[in-house]
Amino acid sequence: MASTAMKVGILGGGRWGQALARLVMAAGHEPYIGFQGKRPPQILPSTDDPPRVSAACELVFVATSASEVRNAIRLAKPGPTNRVVVAGRGLEPETSTWLTDVVLQESDTLRVGALAGPAPVEEILNGGLCAGVVASRFAEVRQLATRALHSPRYRMYESEDPAGVQLAGAIVPVLATLLGVARSLRGSGVGIHAMVLARGLEEAARLARSMGDDPLTFVGLAGIGDLVASQAVPGHPSFEAGAALARGDRSQGPDKLARAVVRLASARKVELPLIEALVSIYDGLDPLIAVQHLMGRKPTREHG
Amino acid sequence: MSRASGSAELDSGLFHERPRDLVIRDLVNRSRRRLEALPDAALESLLEDALWHERKRLERKPEDSGHEILDALARGLLRGDRKQRLDAGLALVNSWGDEIHGRFDPRVYRVATRFLPRALTALLSGRRGRLRDWQPLEPSETRIQVRGPLKLVQELSREATLVLAPTHVSNLDSPLVGLVLYLAGLPPFVYGAGLNLFSNKIIGWWMHRLGAYTVDRTKKAAIYKDVLKDYSIRALTTRHHSLFFPGGTRARSGEIERSLKKGLLGTAIVAWQEMLAAGRPDSEVYVVPCTLSMSLVLEAATLIEDFLAESGKQRYIITDDEFAQPRRLAAFANRVLDLDSAVVARFGQPLDVFGNPVDPDPAARKAQALRRRGYVTGRDGKVEWDDQRDHVYTQRLAESLCESFVDNTEVLATHAAAAAAWNCISRQVGSADPFRVVRSPIEKRRIAPDVYRAELGNLLDRCRASANAGRGFVDTLEPDVDSVLATALDRFGRYHRSRVLVRRGSELVVEDPKLCFYYRNRLTWLDRAPAERARSTLGESR
Repeated sequence: MASTAMKVGILGGGRWGQALARLVMAAGHEPYIGFQGKRPPQILPSTDDPPRVSAACELVFVATSASEVRNAIRLAKPGPTNRVVVAGRGLEPETSTWLTDVVLQESDTLRVGALAGPAPVEEILNGGLCAGVVASRFAEVRQLATRALHSPRYRMYESEDPAGVQLAGAIVPVLATLLGVARSLRGSGVGIHAMVLARGLEEAARLARSMGDDPLTFVGLAGIGDLVASQAVPGHPSFEAGAALARGDRSQGPDKLARAVVRLASARKVELPLIEALVSIYDGLDPLIAVQHLMGRKPTREHG
Repeated sequence: MSRASGSAELDSGLFHERPRDLVIRDLVNRSRRRLEALPDAALESLLEDALWHERKRLERKPEDSGHEILDALARGLLRGDRKQRLDAGLALVNSWGDEIHGRFDPRVYRVATRFLPRALTALLSGRRGRLRDWQPLEPSETRIQVRGPLKLVQELSREATLVLAPTHVSNLDSPLVGLVLYLAGLPPFVYGAGLNLFSNKIIGWWMHRLGAYTVDRTKKAAIYKDVLKDYSIRALTTRHHSLFFPGGTRARSGEIERSLKKGLLGTAIVAWQEMLAAGRPDSEVYVVPCTLSMSLVLEAATLIEDFLAESGKQRYIITDDEFAQPRRLAAFANRVLDLDSAVVARFGQPLDVFGNPVDPDPAARKAQALRRRGYVTGRDGKVEWDDQRDHVYTQRLAESLCESFVDNTEVLATHAAAAAAWNCISRQVGSADPFRVVRSPIEKRRIAPDVYRAELGNLLDRCRASANAGRGFVDTLEPDVDSVLATALDRFGRYHRSRVLVRRGSELVVEDPKLCFYYRNRLTWLDRAPAERARSTLGESR
């Protein structure tokens, strides 16, 4: 692989797309953003004609929300020569389909991958240090994405477990919301926080095992790394959505994503008591009663 | 074996006697390029691996030739320089190439293309009196049913190189597929045959002389496997349609293959790229899935016994099964293959080397061919070689094949009856563990007719619903439960020494639970959701 600068496509001109563009520039390459609606800042090369991004760039990142990935791919029409890396929340909430599969369903491209990890967008935009993980079955996709983003301000790691990385990407906001609920309930403390965190990770690992994924993936940047960021960033949207849920406001947060994860688990006959409880809360169950149900369950083995 | 004379194949380098040297030289050159690219340590390690595996093999079979070559290799590794080591390794490759290439005999081939299809059909249809009739056979004259997009496959065989990928349950599959190709109006295919298949001397003699190349699965050296792949690549790039059983070996459990060997299958994409890089206008390689569904399987008893053997004791190569016993083979041919729907061969939608369906429309197909080049070429249009990428592509192809095998399977009465019986006795035993169920006492294997009929009815409904949704076929199944049961009981009674299912008084009894398990396994796909097509980018089938 040559070390010359390359043109790197980014679908999505929002804050995350712009942050990725900054990382591409920091790595010595040229970003090319395909956007719809509001134009990104002039300093970032962009077009409102997404197929031009696919035509001009071998490597294309998709930096839209998970629900918009399908439409972005339909518009950009990547083809056999493109390598497409989805930098999103793993699962399409409406269909429980992996975002890499959405790319395959909507285009001719075969070489796909997923980027995950902590993504404190404002920090990245302000030059903060961070790290991410790219997962793909194709070594060339991993290498190309690493080359596009790796720089002194952003470390890239590679993984051969795209399903595990995407699962982690989907579960982290769900767990972060649960933690927001747990910390905001009347009378809650560090105990319930620690319990929800540890048992949430166990649920994620259980689901990962059932799918043949590497449970260690969740211990990496895409899982714990991202989860820690969601706890450390003041006002993190998922954590705040949990706090709002505890107050009875069900309008925010990863409602659809949680349901998508539960559908995925029930298809594999895997129990996810915590995440199922979150769905029940979104369905109208009082969070305190949900906690009582959870605490009233029979004792069981820690792992398994 | 074909209606077509196959003169192009006879004239080509793969089969002719004089170019035989060319073929072997090509194999040696391919190995040379690969070995020369290795650093000293890697070369040494690869040659040591070959020496160790070959020494072990010859310890088990001292009568085999090759001792001198191994001695030379050992000397080279001990005292020789890089060139001597390389030469000694290539001498081994040369001897393997000679063995793999087989002993094709054009005279036998010419006779066989006229005689063998009729002989096999006569054997399979019981019309032995018509053996003297040398007129071409019509598909309607045989009990073998050949279905699927035959016209498209014929068309593709003229414009591209085909890889036929059938399911594999029996050693009879090779001659059966030969006949299927003939009945489908397709030209001859080159095929790799395991040395163990030659245990039946009559069939072995024919196979040797009809273009089968030899695959010795007792040879474990990595270099040997590469030589086999090189041979397959050469066959494909010289426009020889090839037949692989991508499951590698007969499915011991009776299940439709759920994972495939990627070695030979992976040669399809390499051959395609070689032709593409050479600018060949006829570079396309298409893979045609073919599901063979058989009412009864000749070696079922041996295979399931082997499958149920303690973990680690399964034999990869079985040489002492029913196939090697002429009487059993004759009994099977007489009592089973003469039945309607004894064998249904169904071609699936042809696939490209990435597992994508090939468009039946010629114009759309040309556009597809141009577009798919982008998967392996750079911006300059030149092929970029990448083994790891190709491995993932082949994984995707393998998953598409597995899905196609299920989609094109024919649910036969014996499979459905065995599955219903297995469900009933599993419930009576109170366990889904097959090891417990096969060891259950006879009391647990008696089934009340009403219970059985309800179970079979339910299962047939599921099969029909699945067929309506495009998964599996029920075309040969009788319309009602009683007829399906009657057909199955008749067939179970025809060949196996102990019966899968038998009527005793008012009850149905599973006489041989292992065989019941074997035939039931053909329908395990009913309990699985269809694979998410695109998951191949995520890893092995989950």
